[in-house]
Amino acid sequence: MEFDSPEEKEFPGLYAAEAADSKSKKSKEESDFDEDHEHNKKDLLIGRRKDKKDKGKDRGYAALEGESSPEEELETKSPSKSKKSKTFKFVSSKSKEKREKSRDKEKSVEEPAHKAKDTDKDKDKERERHDEKEVKKKDKKKDKKDKKSKQLSQQQDEDAEEEDLAMGCPVFGVSVSLATERSRCHDGIDLPMVVRDCIDYLQEQTHNFVIYKVEPIKAELLHLKRLYNNREHDEALNLFNVPLACGLLKLYLRDLPEPMLTTDLMYDFEDVARHQKGREQRIGLQQLMEQVPKCNRTLVGWVMLHFYAVTDQERYNKLNHESIAVLLSPTLQMSAQLMVALLRHCRLLFADIQLIPYVPPLTAASKLPEDPEDIQMELRKQDSLLAQIHSEMNAGFITKKREEQLWEVQRIITQLKRKLRSFEKKQEKSIEELDGSVIQPVPVTATAPVVVPVPVGEDITDSNNQPPAPPNSTVTTISTEEHKPGRRASSSSPVTHNIDVSDCIQVHRNEEHSSSPSPPLYTIDRESGFVLLPETNPHREELLRLQIEYDELMALQNELKARIKAERNEVYRLNKLCEMQLLKHQAAAGAQPPKEADYERIIEHYKRENALLEHKKQMLGKELKEERRACIALQVELRLQQF
Amino acid sequence: MSKKPTVGPALHKVIMVGSGGVGKSALTLQFMYDEFVEDYEPTKADSYRKKVVLDGEEVQIDILDTAGQEDYAAIRDNYFRSGEGFLCVFSITDDESFQATQEFREQILRVKNDESIPFLLVGNKCDLNDKRKVPLSECQLRAQQWAVPYVETSAKTRENVDKVFFDLMREIRSRKTEDSKATSGRAKDRCKKRRLKCTLL
Repeated sequence: MEFDSPEEKEFPGLYAAEAADSKSKKSKEESDFDEDHEHNKKDLLIGRRKDKKDKGKDRGYAALEGESSPEEELETKSPSKSKKSKTFKFVSSKSKEKREKSRDKEKSVEEPAHKAKDTDKDKDKERERHDEKEVKKKDKKKDKKDKKSKQLSQQQDEDAEEEDLAMGCPVFGVSVSLATERSRCHDGIDLPMVVRDCIDYLQEQTHNFVIYKVEPIKAELLHLKRLYNNREHDEALNLFNVPLACGLLKLYLRDLPEPMLTTDLMYDFEDVARHQKGREQRIGLQQLMEQVPKCNRTLVGWVMLHFYAVTDQERYNKLNHESIAVLLSPTLQMSAQLMVALLRHCRLLFADIQLIPYVPPLTAASKLPEDPEDIQMELRKQDSLLAQIHSEMNAGFITKKREEQLWEVQRIITQLKRKLRSFEKKQEKSIEELDGSVIQPVPVTATAPVVVPVPVGEDITDSNNQPPAPPNSTVTTISTEEHKPGRRASSSSPVTHNIDVSDCIQVHRNEEHSSSPSPPLYTIDRESGFVLLPETNPHREELLRLQIEYDELMALQNELKARIKAERNEVYRLNKLCEMQLLKHQAAAGAQPPKEADYERIIEHYKRENALLEHKKQMLGKELKEERRACIALQVELRLQQF
Repeated sequence: MSKKPTVGPALHKVIMVGSGGVGKSALTLQFMYDEFVEDYEPTKADSYRKKVVLDGEEVQIDILDTAGQEDYAAIRDNYFRSGEGFLCVFSITDDESFQATQEFREQILRVKNDESIPFLLVGNKCDLNDKRKVPLSECQLRAQQWAVPYVETSAKTRENVDKVFFDLMREIRSRKTEDSKATSGRAKDRCKKRRLKCTLL
């Protein structure tokens, strides 16, 4: 299909100029005088000529065949003159204007005399205008195009098998719902992929002056259409440029078997647009819109919001509601009046729709997300993709490529699931760990009781810089021993604090959970700020209890936080003291080192003593915690009675 | 478009089939990650890829772990079609699962339309020999009828786990080399024929 007019591709400027002619002289002037690209153009044309030779076989029309060899002789002299006769294409393309046609005729009459030099001159001039106009575009697209031409030839092999899908289950020219189903966006927005891609692309280009003004190269447009019919979206996306994206969107809309507002409602819509104004009109449209099938509504919403965004950039693209309606209402199979009305109200009509750029499902090459929520989202996408692959295969479209994809998607899903599971496990574990950590400090302090300040530092992870412990000083050991009570509390409190915080979080979560399914009817207690459900609601008591519990736990948390702070200060003070005493001691005892044996014995003694105390402290801490819990439970019951 | 994958290490596609709860996933996970999962969580479909060294040659194995339940039969054909070798698993402690292998075998043959598709009959849970319900002789008999190897495994103790996967990969590999020989042979034949014609002319 894409080869039936190979030359057109080489002269995209023809249509472009044509369109520009009628719509904006300005843009033409700009590009006409764009001369920097002169030499680029030549390179390009030479390259293009090669392509052309390769594709020679694919020419679908006989009319040019006689000419092709003399033409090529000419080309060797001046590459820029090489192309003639794209004119023939116009005859076949239906959407051209009369003016174009008449010009075509002129040209085709000239055609036989073509080889003569004098006519060449005129032609060259004309052609150059087109060329230059398009060189700009070409430059940008050069790489892409080269790639594409390669792909084109490669694809031919695969075409045979893929073509079936395009033939049997096309996306273009079928109802909106069918197209949406066949080529869905996997992020839950029910739009055909092609529309989504075009709008995503053009939303970034709304300030671009050529938007909806310049016609794309027909062959490229048809190639894109074919890719989408074959579900080769990724590849298509690489070829996009502004005129193509506009053209593709328009082509899709034009190919719809019925207007997207549906034939049945069309008359009513027109009626509302014609006879009502302002708010009335909006309400009328809204009521009609509710009768439109859901996926049509989504499509209309996206398209209109997009056009609205385009007109929002009027100062760059010179398109306002009226002018864009003139350009596009025929494509949408509605009157300009209706389109303007829809544009005017679209933000209220489609308040629920947001133009979110599409992020396609991951492929094997990409990195999997880390965040559990992202993983969940990605899983949903992959599942949707998998379902689509299965349905395509069940419909009989089985290719090697699709089978590969099936395994790959399945593999990604498996990996994502594993990741999610391991994450859940980790979370469970960390909660368990928090519960278990009450017992943990015992061995830590028991194994290293001499280095007294260090365990304290470990318990309070983010405490101030701890000075290194004095390595061998009995005095310090004793001095810290004296302050043991303070330390005991300090190391136990952060632990209990941690647990309570995690409990709080859990409680909080439960609360959210239980409140979410409840009906929106609730009152808020003035004094406490609690959410109160009506008496009849079975969740009332539970919700209330959770709220009170939450409240109590928060109070406890604050209290514990305050205590931690106080104790950190104490630790800091003790450390200072310790340092000073160490210095004094060293100064005083510098001459007489303590006896080794005595020293060892003393250390042993205190080690045992410390371990014992540490254990006692632990037990007390636990008891304290339980008491605290009981207190809170009672408190909750008490307060519950009040309500 | 990118033809690299085919240039890379050979890829063998293995599919696990069998009734629910016989240990397909357990075998797969033991092979993939050396882990044994006690809890039962029904599989819908899972797919794994691993690089292994098969007789000194680096290859990739794709394992597709399918659902045992009929509920997912609709999507099963799509997978069966692209499989190159099959591990048909049953539990030696469950006669039903052994009887079901017959059905799986038939399904595979129907989809692949090939009697000699690489295929292993696998009796799992052999660590539970005291609870055995399917006599060894019966298993071997069935394997003989089908002309496929029979191996007993334990996903729990890892007994024979590597063996079944590697044996199957070897079968797939030898099958592939046969095929390519056959096709290239045919191609040569064609050439010869053409030449013959030419000489005739």
